[in-house]
Amino acid sequence: MTAQIIIAVPKGRILKEVLPLFAALGIVPEPAFGDEDSRLLRFATNRPDIGLIRVRAFDVATFVAHGAAQLGIVGSDVLMEFDYSELYAPVDLDIGHCRISVAEPVAMAAGDDPREWSHVRVATKYPNITRRHFEARGVQAECVKLNGAMEIAPVLGLSSRIVDLVSTGRTLKDNGLAEVETIAQVSSRLIVNRAAFKTRAAEIGPLVEGFRKAVEAKDAA
Amino acid sequence: MTIAPGLLPEGLRDRLPPQAEAGSRLLHRVIVAIGRHGYARVSPPLAEFEEGLVGQLKSAGARDLLRFVDPVSQRTLALRPDITAQVGRIAATRMGHRPRPLRLAYGGPVLKLRATQLRPERELTQAGAELIGTDSLAAVIEILRVAVEALEVAGVTGITVDLTLPDLVETLAAGAMPLPADKVDAVRAMLDAKDAGGLASLGADAYLPFIEAAGPVGPALAKLRAIAGAQTLDKRLEAIEAIVAAIGDRVALTLDPTERHGFEYQTWIGFSLFGDGLSGEIGRGGSYTIVHPDGTEEKAIGFSLFIDPLVDVGLGVVEHRRVFLPLGTDAATGAALRADDWITIAALSESDDAAALGCTHILRGNIPQPI
Repeated sequence: MTAQIIIAVPKGRILKEVLPLFAALGIVPEPAFGDEDSRLLRFATNRPDIGLIRVRAFDVATFVAHGAAQLGIVGSDVLMEFDYSELYAPVDLDIGHCRISVAEPVAMAAGDDPREWSHVRVATKYPNITRRHFEARGVQAECVKLNGAMEIAPVLGLSSRIVDLVSTGRTLKDNGLAEVETIAQVSSRLIVNRAAFKTRAAEIGPLVEGFRKAVEAKDAA
Repeated sequence: MTIAPGLLPEGLRDRLPPQAEAGSRLLHRVIVAIGRHGYARVSPPLAEFEEGLVGQLKSAGARDLLRFVDPVSQRTLALRPDITAQVGRIAATRMGHRPRPLRLAYGGPVLKLRATQLRPERELTQAGAELIGTDSLAAVIEILRVAVEALEVAGVTGITVDLTLPDLVETLAAGAMPLPADKVDAVRAMLDAKDAGGLASLGADAYLPFIEAAGPVGPALAKLRAIAGAQTLDKRLEAIEAIVAAIGDRVALTLDPTERHGFEYQTWIGFSLFGDGLSGEIGRGGSYTIVHPDGTEEKAIGFSLFIDPLVDVGLGVVEHRRVFLPLGTDAATGAALRADDWITIAALSESDDAAALGCTHILRGNIPQPI
């Protein structure tokens, strides 16, 4: 088998935390990979058998689920949202920590009791997670799908609540929102395409093991 | 609203030449290869009473069936999403009196209620074999050999067989590695997705080594043996070793002890089949239990292959020599050419054009000459 192993990595803030993991495995991407301004989508590494692609976080899961990339790094929020059957997430990389939460305007939160909800209207990038979460507690959620800037939705009356990623809570605060419920803790995971995991075990096994060791070494330090 | 001409419902498609022919050729080759091992073909109907399709196999979950009410009987009928359960019904009823082990083969279309983005087809051609009356190690090895041979005959190369132990979590949770009853399903789902982080968040860290154990069968067995509490699995692991000894030289073998993907009704062993250049799994099988009408249970083992992914990568296409027979060619000449493995395209009018009709040759002076 001569085809390259492709690792899909999300754009954005996670990139800085991923590079030390790659370094621990002895994988050195070409310089343009760390450059946020680069327009390239596909990057070489010092290992001819490994290539990298840089795509949106949601697309990382899609590329790997379809087997277009064999490995990927993605937040568990994306895995929860898609629930693709063809993805394995064998290593918790212990980076990109945040949580996915329900938030609403501060004034509303002051007089609101979540136990009394029967129907909520929620702006979110995660309609599946949102619907599942509310259904499980007996609340019907009407989702308005947005791709970013959820925080503005309550102010302008698009929806009363939002479900979004929260790390420091600063963005919520700046927009007059308060976190009222945590749906799940999120961290980045190494994901593997199921068929590739079986049919290219000799190449992929050592990489998965390498990431696992790198995370253990980092946690021990 | 009118439907655009030619539009088909989601997940359904027309197969055109040469793929339509490739599909029927591959199905035929696979069935013949299976038949050579003594598996006799049965052909259940495309639709039957809904009750007939569920409940034939022990612990089969409620299925998503494409149902409709039969205007004649006023009963609910369903289109089959899988032929295995139908073969189970045949084995338990009409062929219940035949001597065991009973070897049956089948092939035909199945229809799923839903397509997914990853598997967009709703109609698939399923072929397979079921060995009814035993799920012994010898039976497992026979079924695996038949499955591998059927794939080889279809032209699949670089075959990987992924073995799994479908009831592992239940077995361990009830004994050596106890889990709260309300967590068993969640732990199983996390192990299925090999979600290390999710498993840890459920407090089932003891099961993490099973995720790490998945991989090529040799190292996987060694890792499994090292897991505290997994000693109760010794017999299973010995069986896996026997399978490796039997087919390890023909295919690549991996072991994934906690895989559950679609193994709803399998008992002690299951397997998935993969091939080079094919993006998803192309077949699966395992041991299961058939429930007879009187409630008695019978062990069985079998496998199914899906023909469509093979057709999609171009297997089964055979290049034919196609000769154009000009007007006035006598019937016996054409018959002789066909007997010699030619495809003949007879002119019906003076204006017929050999090249436009896809001919590779034209008959001149009773001899086919390249165009």
